[in-house]
Amino acid sequence: MELAYYPGCSLHASSELYDIQCKMVFRNLGIELREIPDWNCCGATAAAKTDDFLAIALPARNLGIADATGLSEIVIPCSSCYSRTLVSQQRLSCDPELKESINAELGRKVEGNIKVSNILEVLKPRVTSGEIVEKARKKLEGLKPACYYGCLLTRFPCDVPVTDDVENPQGMEIICRSLGAEPVDWSYKTDCCGASASVNDAEQSLLLMSRIMKDAEARGANCFVTTCPLCQFNVDAYQEQVAQKYGLGKRLPVYFITELIGIAMGFDAVEMQVDRHFVDAMGLLKELKLI
Amino acid sequence: MSVKTLKYEAKGAQTLLREVMDKSGQNLLACYQCRRCAAGCPVGEETGVTPDRLIRMILLGDRGEALSNLLVWKCVACYTCGTRCPNNIQTARITETLKQMSKKEHLEPLRPRIADFHNAFMKATGHMGRFNEIEGMGIYEAKTALKELKKGNVGAIIDEMKNQAKLGMTMMKKKRMHFKVDKVKNKAEVKALYRKAKPGKGA
Repeated sequence: MELAYYPGCSLHASSELYDIQCKMVFRNLGIELREIPDWNCCGATAAAKTDDFLAIALPARNLGIADATGLSEIVIPCSSCYSRTLVSQQRLSCDPELKESINAELGRKVEGNIKVSNILEVLKPRVTSGEIVEKARKKLEGLKPACYYGCLLTRFPCDVPVTDDVENPQGMEIICRSLGAEPVDWSYKTDCCGASASVNDAEQSLLLMSRIMKDAEARGANCFVTTCPLCQFNVDAYQEQVAQKYGLGKRLPVYFITELIGIAMGFDAVEMQVDRHFVDAMGLLKELKLI
Repeated sequence: MSVKTLKYEAKGAQTLLREVMDKSGQNLLACYQCRRCAAGCPVGEETGVTPDRLIRMILLGDRGEALSNLLVWKCVACYTCGTRCPNNIQTARITETLKQMSKKEHLEPLRPRIADFHNAFMKATGHMGRFNEIEGMGIYEAKTALKELKKGNVGAIIDEMKNQAKLGMTMMKKKRMHFKVDKVKNKAEVKALYRKAKPGKGA
């Protein structure tokens, strides 16, 4: 089958590895990801904070392009892109005037038909159906991930259907368990890493991350796993700074969910670019004899 | 700890409340001060102002405080407050609204770096249609450095450069830095949306 695909800016830049892994894992599940042509930035949090019109209009242009593909579903792996696109679609469905005003500028008009999905929404049913386990070549034994969801996968600024439990989502745990890993139970799975505050309000962001990292360590996790490129980048790239400032016993690698599925599927770790993490992500896999 | 007394300005109260409600789409009158939002706010401790306090400022018509307090700037838009509100008030939409109102009134942001970052992000996005990390960070760092320079804080500029250079070097080493410019072909369409957002101003 074919799904429309919106990588967003970070999957074309610092989180290119996530783009590569998504394509590898989905292809092995029989899903071709068709990147929508000439997409633009969703505006992320910056648009919401600076301009109400652009916050809706930027994702709307992508929705128009996605609708024009004729495909029924678009998957958006980045939590922020997913959230902004879903919010835009919902807003346009109940504000025909705004929709008309935006459509007037667009070559491919927003119809609002395509289903906007996050990555776990597409993967979870394939755990239930047994497809993911069927494709697995090895068990992720010894891996104890702290499944980190962050903010934007389950919390929205308006009424949209939420695909997991808001306070205690389980999507990643279900996938990890099916592959033989033992996800830990912990308290900070939906807490905020600060997002762009790591750049513009660093003290605040480091404090927020220290709480997340300390709890994961205290609960006996030996790694993090996430679906959001910004969460991944922050918890990975700033872990050393947090350790220096707040004291951490261990450094935990921060995997994308696609990395763990890919390793279980028997993909080559280097081909998946697992060696592009800040906190060494290859060592633990070697230690557990998963690669 | 000293707490500032909230001022009541009868004349301004109604217009401020209406303006914030209209722009944010949130019914602030539904707040009954249960403070579930405050309990979940990840920056509440540092800002001293929690979402419930912010709503009270607006209801009481304290325009000055409402437009210029730390929560408006430091809010990380995690949407915890709104998700837990028994009356579905999305305070993060209110901070977003107040930030925009404060900009419109040319008030100096309490955290200029935060404002500069989001403005730089939107500028870079408007330029290429996609956000290029090097371009966006370049605009942001230049803005920040210029402001520090005007204040004579050369030390702050050097610290920032050191930090960013360190992160940049690690990103290079880990092949996380991306030099190819990513852009939209139909930039005219993106620019048209920018023009519609701010009539009279280009992207």
